[in-house]
Parts: sequence; structure tokens; C-alpha cells
Amino acid sequence: MSHTRRTLLTTLAAATGASAGCLGRGGRSSGGDPDGEPLVDLGRPCANSGGPVDLSGGRPATAFERARATPETASDDGDLPLRETPLHLGHDRSAFVDGQMSGGVGHDGIPSIDEPRFARAADVGLPDCERVFGVASDGDVRAYPQRILVRHEIVNDVVGGDPVAVTYCPLTGTAQGFYRGGTTFGVSGRLVNSNLIMWDRARDVRWPQIAATGIEVGGQRDADGADRYVGQSLREFRVVWTTWRRWRTRHPDTLVLTEETGSARNYNRDPYGSYEPPVSGHYSTDAGRQPNFPLLAYDDAESKRVVVGARTAAGAVAFDKRALMGASVLTGELGDTPVVAVADEGITTGYVYANPEGLRVERDGDADEGAVYAVDGTPAPPDALPLDRLQAFDAMWFAWHGFYPGTERVGI
Amino acid sequence: MTAPTDDRGGTETAPESGAPTPRTAPLAWGGRLLARTGVAVRGAVGRRDGRATLVVVAALYLLTYLWALRDLTASGPGGVDVFVVAEPVSTALTPLSPFLFEAVARVEAGPIVYLFRPVNVALGIGLGLLVGVTLAVSVVSWRGPEACRIGAGAGATAGVPGLLSGFACCGPQLLVVIGLQASAGLVAAMQWMVPLAVASLLLTLLWVGSRVRIPE
Repeated sequence: MSHTRRTLLTTLAAATGASAGCLGRGGRSSGGDPDGEPLVDLGRPCANSGGPVDLSGGRPATAFERARATPETASDDGDLPLRETPLHLGHDRSAFVDGQMSGGVGHDGIPSIDEPRFARAADVGLPDCERVFGVASDGDVRAYPQRILVRHEIVNDVVGGDPVAVTYCPLTGTAQGFYRGGTTFGVSGRLVNSNLIMWDRARDVRWPQIAATGIEVGGQRDADGADRYVGQSLREFRVVWTTWRRWRTRHPDTLVLTEETGSARNYNRDPYGSYEPPVSGHYSTDAGRQPNFPLLAYDDAESKRVVVGARTAAGAVAFDKRALMGASVLTGELGDTPVVAVADEGITTGYVYANPEGLRVERDGDADEGAVYAVDGTPAPPDALPLDRLQAFDAMWFAWHGFYPGTERVGI
Repeated sequence: MTAPTDDRGGTETAPESGAPTPRTAPLAWGGRLLARTGVAVRGAVGRRDGRATLVVVAALYLLTYLWALRDLTASGPGGVDVFVVAEPVSTALTPLSPFLFEAVARVEAGPIVYLFRPVNVALGIGLGLLVGVTLAVSVVSWRGPEACRIGAGAGATAGVPGLLSGFACCGPQLLVVIGLQASAGLVAAMQWMVPLAVASLLLTLLWVGSRVRIPE
């Protein structure tokens, strides 16, 4: 959907802020984290959360030289890349079908962004503490602000030459990326374990975001062979939940999604609550604040604690993110396989690796340079240890446990 | 002041001798009720205080309704900005959830952000007029001669069902914000809040109309 936008006046505050360089462009930290910026979201105030926001304008990613925004491999209409082996499900598939419920909006009632527009980091105004979901694929780097995705939940994009969907579920605090081949994803309006259930527009298979596995075929399309996708899992890529300052510092040439989404939305307020102090609404970490929608499984641990979860065909494992950020290295098991999680404090994220041979992984570097690790003495960055990296993402604990009640727990 | 009058000779609240009742002649009774309500409404809006009540209440209701939808919020960063979608007509008719339709424009003016949903504005005006006319009849009746009065609480209760409907669109979201546990039944029930509000407003108006004493 194209659109017109007419800015009549810019704000005095924005003008003043820009001229004073108060958006952070002129005074970027050269080293450590500024005081008060949290390593883990939820319940931790961020010192630089204020300031003017200007995410207007923008162009299609194809207009930027560094972006690979045109599909580089041909996909047939409706083609959908799948994992060779379906992911582990913590329940029978029928439990997801029976446990899903309406989230109160209709099919595509939360509209995905299908024609995203971007701007260079230097051309937007965004407070340092704003949450962004970062994607980096072979030099093609994008940031998707949470303030925009909370209104759309899905961006159908092309990054690194691959058609992808960058997805975000506000209720479960999960940002995940999926390869979408020759189709697009939309918001079905239904939830399970409070988690977004996506639908692919070619055949209307329903895909809970966290499970990334088809649970049933909906009734919106009459597509032959849709049943064969049920029980199969999507191919995924890493999406990093971090702050704008951290992402921009790591990737100064990042593009950032703008508010030119084609929809008339109010991106100035989060309909689910506030991550900023006082943390409120659904994001509240108060002990008495339980998830709003029924879960398939309940646990006594703090429901909103952030975990770094990974799952394979063999099982699931969750690391407490705060513990991981403090320890840098945590170990656990996934199924029968030893796994190791390492922290990347620079962008406050964690990576999980299979470590079947039990190689020694330890911190061996300067945190300011992005936390270099050593694997049996061989140095490596946190996102590229010489091990098999598993797909991992941040999630609220109640949701992770709702999907994987038998998950291995580390620090939880 | 002049009370609402029946230009066809007037009616009384108390059943008249030989007057139709719901049991003896339901159709005639219903027609008579509608006629009485019509007379009361015409009489109320024919007076300055009745019209003022109607306009003020309908406007306040519409503002409250838009606030309940979160279409009208004080969340703007300052400045003035107008955005209109590319295809406003087809977009305006796109349903997002029961009785909530897509916005076609966003207007920012200083601290105010307004999302314009034409269908919901029409719905809000309709509900507001229903609340307003009910209160107008109540106010005019209450200010009129004692013989014409109805209970003071009648008007006050008239607007409640309509106001509740404003939360129908975003019911599940409201549950999320205030922390109530949602259930499939509760979410489904919220889809009926707008039609229930319309029905209850109409019933309230008829009830108020039936209670007004219209002198001959």
C-alpha cells in the first residue's frame, strides 16, 4: 500500500534536539555501556529512554546500495522453506490446536508490513534505549524498532537476498525470523500460550511463532496439499533483541525500518503497556501479574523473566538471560547433547551452541570489543564459535515453559 | 417551561381504561409505545435545553468513545502531522475486529494523536445520539411540570450501556492492560458488546419515553 505523508511542521523539540546532537549521533559512547542501560529488559530502567523520535520518510531497501533487497534465488509461488527435521514440540500437536483462542482481532486484523521502508541510522531520530530487533545477513543489516512492530508483529521483507519474515509477539516477548520463500506471513488473530499464531498466505497453515511448526490448516485458502505442512517446521534465522544504541554502535551502517508502513497507526504508545519505568501493563514484572491468556503449562518461577531459549528436534533448553549476562558462559543439556551458551554483552544477547565433545569454552577478551571467547584455546567471537550454533531467541519464561514444559533449565 | 406535548391529543403514563397492554394487544401496545417515545423525543429536541443536552451529551459520548478505542490520545510528540492512507475508501471498510474498522488517517497536533476510522466515528455518533436523545428527554421531563417528570435516575442510567460499548473493540487488549485473565468465552462475549449496547440504549429510550407524562 502506497501512501502520502504531509508534514506541516516539525516540532520545536525535534529541531532543538537535532541541532544539539542530542539524538546520540554526536556523542556516541566509545567504550562501555552508559550507566543505567540494562543488560536484560523488563523491570530495569534505562537512563536514555527519552528524546525525540523521528522515523518518518524512508525508501524501499532496494534504494540502498548495501542492502540485498531483491530475492537472489527464485521461489515458486507459495513455496515455503522447511527444516529437514521438525522441531521438538513440548506437547502433542492437538494440544496446540485445542489450546488456541482468539486474541480479539480478526484475520490480518493486525496488519503485517508488506512494503517496508528504511532509512540510514544517521537519518533518523531514535532514543538510545529504544528496543530494536536486529538482523545481519552477509553485510545486509537492518533494525526493526519495537515501537513499530508492536503494531504489526510481522514484516515481510527481503534481507541478504532472501525473502524473510521478521516477527515479534509482544505478549511473549519473542522476536524471531523465518525464511518465507514464495509466500508471505500474516497475523491470524489467534493465540496459543499468549503467542502469535501466524498464517502463511499461500495455504493458510497456522504456525505458532515460538514453535515455528505448522499445527493445522485454517479455512482462508483452498490450497491442495496444505496438510503436508502440518507438523513441519520453518527455517529460521537469528533476530537480536537489543537497544538502538547498542545495535547502531555494532553496526553503524544499519538501515532502520521507518514508520512509513502504509497504515495509519499511533506508534507513540504501546497498547500492551510500557517497558519504561514504571514498567506497566502486560510487561509488569509484579509477582501478582499473571499472563492474560491461558497457558498449556504453568510454572512457579517468575513468569516475566527473560530467558534465552533454544530447541532442536531433540528437545529444548532455556538459560536465564540475566544469569548468562553475568556469567558470560553457561552450560546445559539439550536432549542428551551438552550445550553451551555465551553472552555478547555488546548487544546484550546470547548464543547457544551444541557442544557434544564438551570442548572448553571460556571468556578470553575485552568486553568492550564484543566479548571474545576461546574454544579449547582457539579465539572466536560470540556469534561464531567453532561449534554448531543453535537457533536461539529471547522469550518471557511463562511462554517458553508453556510451549516446552519439559525444557532443560539453566539458572531458572 | 413547556413540557413535551402530544399533538394528537396526549397520552398518560398510567394505563387508561381500555388502553392496550402487552398482554391484550401487544402490537397496538408496541405502536403506542413507539408513538409516545416519538412524541417525547420530538418534544425534547424541540426545546433549547433538550437540544443542548442532545448536542453536548452526544459530543461528550463521541469523545469518550474515541478515547476508549484509543483513537484519541495525548501521546503526540508535538508539532503537526497528517498522514492519509493510499486507498481511504476501501481501507475504511476493512474490519480489524468486530465493530472495529481500519483507520484511514492519523492526525498529530501537539500532544494529541487522532486516528480517523470513518465507520467507527459513524458508530460513535450513532451511539452518542441515542444516549443524547435519551438524556434530552429525561432532562426536559425532569425540568418540566411535576406531572411530566420521570425519575431522576432514568436519564443517568441511559448512557451507561452505550459507554460500555466503547470498550468492546479493544476488550482483549483492555484485559491485557489491566491484567484480567482472558478466556475464550469472555473474548467471544466482547464481540457482542456493541449490538448489546445499541439494543439496551433503544430499550432505555423506549422506557424513558414510556415514563414521560405527556399532558393533554
